[in-house]
Amino acid sequence: MWEIYLLQGLAGGLVTGSIYALIALSLVIIYKSTQVINFAGGEIVMIASYVALFILLYTGMSYWVVVPLCAISTFIIGISFERVVLTRIQGRQAPGQSVLVAMVIATVGLSYILKGIIRPIPYADEVRTLPPMMAIDPVFIGPAVISRQDIAIFGIAVFSMIALFVFFQFTPLGRALRATADNARAAALVGIPVARMRALVWGLACGLSAIAGILIAPKILMTPDMGGLIILAFAAAIIGGFTNFPGVIVGGFALGIIENIVGLTISSNAISVTPFIVIILVLLVRPQGLFGGPSEVKKV
Amino acid sequence: MGNLTRNLTLAAAFVVVATAVPTLGSIYIVFMANMILMYVVLAIGLDILLGRAGQFAFAHTAFFGIGIYVTSLVNIATGMPFYLTIPIGACVAGLVGALIALPATRLKHLYLGLATFAFAEVAQWVFNNWDEVTGGANGLRFQPSQTGFGEITNDLEAYPFVLAIAVFMIWITRNLELSKLGRSMEAIKESEHAATASGISVNRTKAIAFTISAVYAGVAGGMFTLFQSYVHPDVLGFDTLVLVLSMIVIGGIGTLPGVIVGVVLLGLLPEVMRGLETYQEFIYGIILIGVLMFMPRGIWGRIMSFRESMNAEKPEAKSTASPGEAP
Amino acid sequence: MKSAKMIKSIAGLGLGLGMALVASSATAYTVGNPQGKYQDPGISDTEIVIGLHAPLSGRAKAYGVDALDAAKMWYKMINDRGGIWGRKIRIVTADDKCAPNDLVAVVKKLVTVDKVFIVHGGSCTHATIAAQEYITREKVPMVMLNAAGDAGVFPPTRYMFGSFGGTQRTVGGSLIDFVTSTLGAKKIAYLAHDDDFGASNYLAAKWAADKNGVEIVEDQRVSRKIVDVTAPMLKVRASGADVLVITTYTGPAALAVKKAHEFGIKIPIVAAVQAVPNLNAFVKNVGTKDAFKNFYYGSPLNDLTDGPKQQWIIDMFKKNYPGRNPSPFMSYGVPSAMAVAQALHNAGPNPTRESFVDAMAGLKFNTGILAGPIEFGENKRDGHNASIFLKYDGTNTSRVPGIFYNHMPAQ
Repeated sequence: MWEIYLLQGLAGGLVTGSIYALIALSLVIIYKSTQVINFAGGEIVMIASYVALFILLYTGMSYWVVVPLCAISTFIIGISFERVVLTRIQGRQAPGQSVLVAMVIATVGLSYILKGIIRPIPYADEVRTLPPMMAIDPVFIGPAVISRQDIAIFGIAVFSMIALFVFFQFTPLGRALRATADNARAAALVGIPVARMRALVWGLACGLSAIAGILIAPKILMTPDMGGLIILAFAAAIIGGFTNFPGVIVGGFALGIIENIVGLTISSNAISVTPFIVIILVLLVRPQGLFGGPSEVKKV
Repeated sequence: MGNLTRNLTLAAAFVVVATAVPTLGSIYIVFMANMILMYVVLAIGLDILLGRAGQFAFAHTAFFGIGIYVTSLVNIATGMPFYLTIPIGACVAGLVGALIALPATRLKHLYLGLATFAFAEVAQWVFNNWDEVTGGANGLRFQPSQTGFGEITNDLEAYPFVLAIAVFMIWITRNLELSKLGRSMEAIKESEHAATASGISVNRTKAIAFTISAVYAGVAGGMFTLFQSYVHPDVLGFDTLVLVLSMIVIGGIGTLPGVIVGVVLLGLLPEVMRGLETYQEFIYGIILIGVLMFMPRGIWGRIMSFRESMNAEKPEAKSTASPGEAP
Repeated sequence: MKSAKMIKSIAGLGLGLGMALVASSATAYTVGNPQGKYQDPGISDTEIVIGLHAPLSGRAKAYGVDALDAAKMWYKMINDRGGIWGRKIRIVTADDKCAPNDLVAVVKKLVTVDKVFIVHGGSCTHATIAAQEYITREKVPMVMLNAAGDAGVFPPTRYMFGSFGGTQRTVGGSLIDFVTSTLGAKKIAYLAHDDDFGASNYLAAKWAADKNGVEIVEDQRVSRKIVDVTAPMLKVRASGADVLVITTYTGPAALAVKKAHEFGIKIPIVAAVQAVPNLNAFVKNVGTKDAFKNFYYGSPLNDLTDGPKQQWIIDMFKKNYPGRNPSPFMSYGVPSAMAVAQALHNAGPNPTRESFVDAMAGLKFNTGILAGPIEFGENKRDGHNASIFLKYDGTNTSRVPGIFYNHMPAQ
């Protein structure tokens, strides 16, 4: 009997975990390149899903068009925020802790702005979802059952991660971005336009969040407050070590599975507090996560 | 000479404002004053940790909650006067602060922020689920606070005590600023390496900053129980933390007058925004980002630099010392 | 000289504290109450002032905005018909943001600055009860808008009236009554939130289950923000229950129904009113009509939300607010306004706050909107206790015969 539970918990956890991993990746991409913790990450996901909703409802375009459109819109939001707000904040303060604090608080401000844009729209009054991408008839994996849409979500998420990997490893732009993240000064020395790279990183991360938003909207339903799931992405990132891409991906899957295990073995009530306990435990016992190297002290 | 006149003017202004509040015709203004005074103490506490010691820590609402629950529960159980129950609440908060300070000081800024944020969320979950103690999701109803001579039954009666506590905490802050501990915190904020090099025990100072910050939050929680009659865990979450954070950022992080300015402005903001409620979140985010972009040292910082630039234009204010000499 | 500095510092503090205490105490107790012909504020020869508040911003906005506007609309109609005993009703509105601190601030402002006669408002229970001690102490009648209000009406207190849409106890009790009598259930799986709502509706559900001799075999509590209901639904499936009762909000409820369908759970599902505010949206959120083969949901209204018996109030709203489509919670704002107007009338040509409270306590009338009458009593402050149930099969909604109640005595 228990194997059925575990298998089901595993299957369900892998699907939601794949989306946590995607969002966590976008957080980590930003952190690695700019040291900023993006507290607005969840709201970017939220806005992408609402943009998708509007496009789908008003124009009836297919998902093949909607996904790139949403990704472009969040890409623009990300780049604009970095160029307009963050660069200015960085220019205004002496480098040090306070400029990072200021930039993080700026992301909090962004989250309120994004929420505040969606809230007054009548559509946001009710819980919504996106029209289904495909049928949700069940597919059986042994005794465990997941829907066809779940498989598609998992597949798209994994595909995105692979595409990201290829981009960073094999394309010139991706390599330039990695160089900037590793050592901005050295990158500048070899002629990489560091400022433009930073903006691109924000755009890329936000574009990634759009894909996550469209994938997760049917699973968790849409409200202006759905950005709260960012804490799950944080937990996933911390499990994985926050600066280690594969680690973060594993962390996402792990968290999805852990949530289900906690719900099955402890209580459904405890599910909501699980990511926070995970964060505290990991940071107490092994702050660099499962895969991270020695915890960095970034010198500024 | 200038210092004395300045202090006397401040004192006079203070008396005028303190007296004006209850006489301005409605108890609502007294209630607002109580709220603002409480937020001042809460905000100063966060500023000590964030703005002075430079620690990126977000557990503040947990200690606020501990102060509220402990003070009100001790009051319900024993009926002791507030000048005993509030320190008890503050001490418990400080104790918990000291406990989490030990592991927290090992974490560097990103991880510290996330760990303390997680701690605050766990605390809120506990407040929500520990039904026997906190009332859980039904909230906790208080009994009137005792003064030793009678009960505090409304905002007006609470006001003198709330005011006195706020004055006391501000006085403590002023002394802290000027003390060796305060200077150590500043040094750590600038650079931990340099601070260690000059003989400061970084971990100890950080732990003390955590504890002090928690005590302030606990005191603010005690003030809450003086003029409110009920608490629900919903007010002890991330939204409140963001509010307090905004107060110190918008007002002027790291400066006492700045924090007070920020509290007053954001405390009065909802009054100004009547009728614009739907856009509140949006306006709030714009203000936050706007201040960060254009007034990095907050409104008080802007006022200070304005004053400095005004003074620089006056010939008599120029320093008469030549470079190299102490003024 | 360190000690001199210390003494100066302490002296300064002492002076500051002393001034604070003296100055504020001396003036604090001299603020008086204006006396006039009427002993209560908010009433004059020509008008009665009512303070109306609800969440108008933030995440609970959907519960407050239309309900408040519906109440306003009712008062306007009363005014158009000549008012009450020759007095027109003047409304002062405020946004309580569904937050305890903000609601208390708003109520204090309405009472002390706007000097309202009574307070009428509140859509969120946990925020509304924050003001209970204050209005009781100041002897200001407070009538809830559309809040369920359990903790504010059990135990009843003199000045607070509420639960015009039914309490959460009504929800829990009527759900169990319905599944036992109409569906013949013996083993019940219960899905609720881990908050005050869940606690209240479960309390009455358990009582009803014990009384009816049926068993709640699975009790799952989930957070309002839950995103994955795999674990609780697995437990439901394993429990062998013959019916699933859901009292969560609409998001988690839709996820649960969807998951039940995925897991091949075929037992009847009965959802509380808060789970299905808008059936069309709910069906879309679940994603497939096949999940509704055996689906019921409750409502405190006397008909479907857009059913024939509700048309008159929907038309009235559309006439008053042209171009606006009322939300499902709109009509919930009217019964409390009806009660206020009725009590103001019954209190006679010279009402006081006290005589208004007595008039409210004596109310019993039918609203034409709700499933049962609004009824208070000397020790009864929850106004409405009835629920109907609707069956939705994927295409049609139909009313299941019967009106169901919570029978658990108020403790």
